[in-house]
Amino acid sequence: MYDNDQRPRQVVITGLGLVTSIGLGAGEFLAGLRAGRSGAKPITAFDTTGFAHSYGCEVADFDPAEWIRTIEPEELGRATQFSVAAANMAVADAGIDPEELRGRRAMVSVGTTDAESRDLDLLAGEQLEKGPEHLSPGVVRRAHAARLSSSIVRELGLTDVEALTIPTACAAGNYAIGSGYDAIRAGDVDVALCGGADAVCRKTFAGFYRLGTIAPEVCQPFDRDRKGILTGEGAGILMMESLESARARGARIYAEVLGYGLTCDAHHPVAPDQDSLARCMALAHRNAGISAADVDFISAHGTGTKANDVTEAGAIRQVFDAPPPTVSIKSMVGHSMGAASALGSAACALSIAEGFIPPTINHRETDPDCGLDCVPNQARPAELSVVQNNALAFAGNNAVLILGRHREAA
Amino acid sequence: MTTAATSAERRTEIKGIICDILEIEPSDMTGTSRFKEDHEADSMGAIEILSTLERTYGIDLDQSVLPRLVHLDAVVDVVDQAVAAK
Amino acid sequence: MSALVFSTWSAVSPYGVGSEPFRTGIRASRGAITALDPETCPGPFTEGGLVPDFDVTEHIGRKGTRTMDRVTAIAVTAVGLLLADGGPELTSRPEDTGLVLGTGSGSVQSIMDFTRDSLAGERPYHVDPARFPNTVMNRAAGQSAIWHGIKGPNTTIAGGRLTGLTALSYATRLHRGGHCARVLCGAAEEYSVQRAWLEWHGRDGDDRTSPLGEGGAVFLLETAQDARAAGRRARARLLTTRFRAFAEPADARAALAECVREALKQAGARAEDVRVVAPAETGGSLAGVEEAAIADVLGSTVPHLLGNRALLGDTSAATASLQLASVLSVLDDQETPPGALALVTAVDRDGTAGCALLAATTNEES
Repeated sequence: MYDNDQRPRQVVITGLGLVTSIGLGAGEFLAGLRAGRSGAKPITAFDTTGFAHSYGCEVADFDPAEWIRTIEPEELGRATQFSVAAANMAVADAGIDPEELRGRRAMVSVGTTDAESRDLDLLAGEQLEKGPEHLSPGVVRRAHAARLSSSIVRELGLTDVEALTIPTACAAGNYAIGSGYDAIRAGDVDVALCGGADAVCRKTFAGFYRLGTIAPEVCQPFDRDRKGILTGEGAGILMMESLESARARGARIYAEVLGYGLTCDAHHPVAPDQDSLARCMALAHRNAGISAADVDFISAHGTGTKANDVTEAGAIRQVFDAPPPTVSIKSMVGHSMGAASALGSAACALSIAEGFIPPTINHRETDPDCGLDCVPNQARPAELSVVQNNALAFAGNNAVLILGRHREAA
Repeated sequence: MTTAATSAERRTEIKGIICDILEIEPSDMTGTSRFKEDHEADSMGAIEILSTLERTYGIDLDQSVLPRLVHLDAVVDVVDQAVAAK
Repeated sequence: MSALVFSTWSAVSPYGVGSEPFRTGIRASRGAITALDPETCPGPFTEGGLVPDFDVTEHIGRKGTRTMDRVTAIAVTAVGLLLADGGPELTSRPEDTGLVLGTGSGSVQSIMDFTRDSLAGERPYHVDPARFPNTVMNRAAGQSAIWHGIKGPNTTIAGGRLTGLTALSYATRLHRGGHCARVLCGAAEEYSVQRAWLEWHGRDGDDRTSPLGEGGAVFLLETAQDARAAGRRARARLLTTRFRAFAEPADARAALAECVREALKQAGARAEDVRVVAPAETGGSLAGVEEAAIADVLGSTVPHLLGNRALLGDTSAATASLQLASVLSVLDDQETPPGALALVTAVDRDGTAGCALLAATTNEES
């Protein structure tokens, strides 16, 4: 697979950019995870009249001008504003000079479910009101999925760069991080800005509401009384680089990316499949060179729907003789769609670096059909070596990412 | 009041809606042939039926009626009740 | 350097359904843009490159197609054709086969119709649940996998006009990273009234009225050994892909030229061996940029320029995959010397440039 003289490089995470409903930036996000903060509140993104309930986890008080320097914010849809802001944060957090970054060969890879469907909502409204001849050209131009990654390139002024957007729905963040991992590992690029972004939109809320999967007010993953998801939004962008690159500039290392696995159920458009998810975890372990027993905690997909949680728990028990603590940060930040597994990965990196397991909040009684230690309501101190981040998506797309503590060789 | 005639018409119409969603011939469906066991319906099919009935008849059906929508007779009952309650 | 060859491929295009009509059409440089029916395709365009009389049920049967949108139908059909052509061995290990499919933003028609139903219906949740998955951008890739039982990595890629090249690069890494033994890779785009309006409002300058096209192409990428063992002929070898970005349209030419130079250098190849170049023919402020960049690098070598925009229309996210199909259509013949090189190039208004370098197979490989 690799030439003999070219051993795969190690890949480390050295910067985190976070736009979430429980805080902006790695510090605020970390504080939110530790405290078990909830991002749930009434949705303001669209007129919710007619829905019996309409809570979500929106990013409040986000002023794009505060976080985006080069591009005029109105040239970007909300999801792209999130991704660009998070990329700027990640670069600053990594302590790399943007000029130095421009000298490196780079990849920018951003996962998403809806890309700029928030703008497509806007245009659908304009079209209803005024007819298709009268759509706003500025909104049309920014409503492309590719913009989520290409706008980061523009903002940072990168030139030696490969940009891709991965719209593989709600597992997309892990897909994007995996793509950066493979590119750095093989020596194709030195650095990668990878993660996911999405914005709350009417289209997706109405769809999940119609499926009966939206919880009225709280998201309670793995709880006996769980009632579904809360739609959320945000972005998580990880600055990843080769270990050599990180060492050469004396960077702080949050965690090492050990590997990942992908599977497709090829079964049902929306219902998850336990065997296929179990296979995905096993592939991720093999790709990362670990065994299930090495995993110290799992950041679950944990949406809080009946179907997801029981299927995911079943798959975990299928792979793990003794499942480790398994939490869902969606209890705090909601289901941020394509950003979800990027936020999960960032949470895993922070957990490794700071020595704790984030809690599953809103928890009263664990569903015996799930039967997992979901670290209810209170964060737990823990020395972590290997952690696993699960992601599932519509169309049966699964992605499992493995992160580990980076230990300098003695 | 629902007359016998409109009720019979509605039953035919409902049958057409369901057969369309389940992609089966109306002749294959009886009043009590079961959507899931006999016609390979999945959970999405049930929600689709509920959603189409709501829009067609301008009624509100709570998600909690989903487990009741097992065959044509049961669906017609649920719709008749909802229309009467309008 | 990539270890992969292009073996089986398929296309659904304005030439019709299948790789053979595509090959014949491209080799004859036959235009496939026709007048649009104002009843079914109202909107700002009078002409377009549509898949003629496309009825998905003729290709994959009726059951399960009721709520399938057009881009999904194109993708499912293209993948089905490829699998049928590749033989039973191809589907015997579904876990080892990946599928990487490019998209613009999914089906904007499906997405905006769904929102319209929420806005205009009696209740905001009076939307069709069976069509909700159509509004999620991985629908075409996911449904292709479901339909044909492909259980390896399933990834959707968006990169504007570069999409087909980006997907190729991603697919190569998936394979090299050990995530699949072979990978189906391509892109699909539909013609829809909604897409037509969005393109018309979003384009710049004199590019505005140029006709739209639609279609998709999917390629099987595998090692030459696997292709040989399965009795599939290698049509070309993928040497490498290269990408760069530019801040202003004026810098696009230099960015693409650098991509091509680096690709040649990485492959240890000579510019004079490039026989075929398929540019995306991006219009507006980037019109002519690709041709100029190619001339900058290839110098006095004048390759066969294989643009298909004038023949098929602007196929947006499917552009680069259909360019690849064009290249395979001409590379895989008697006249092309073994080892001859082909380039596929693209630039996008979002400031990205990229290319893929292919080589005609040698006698040992094919």
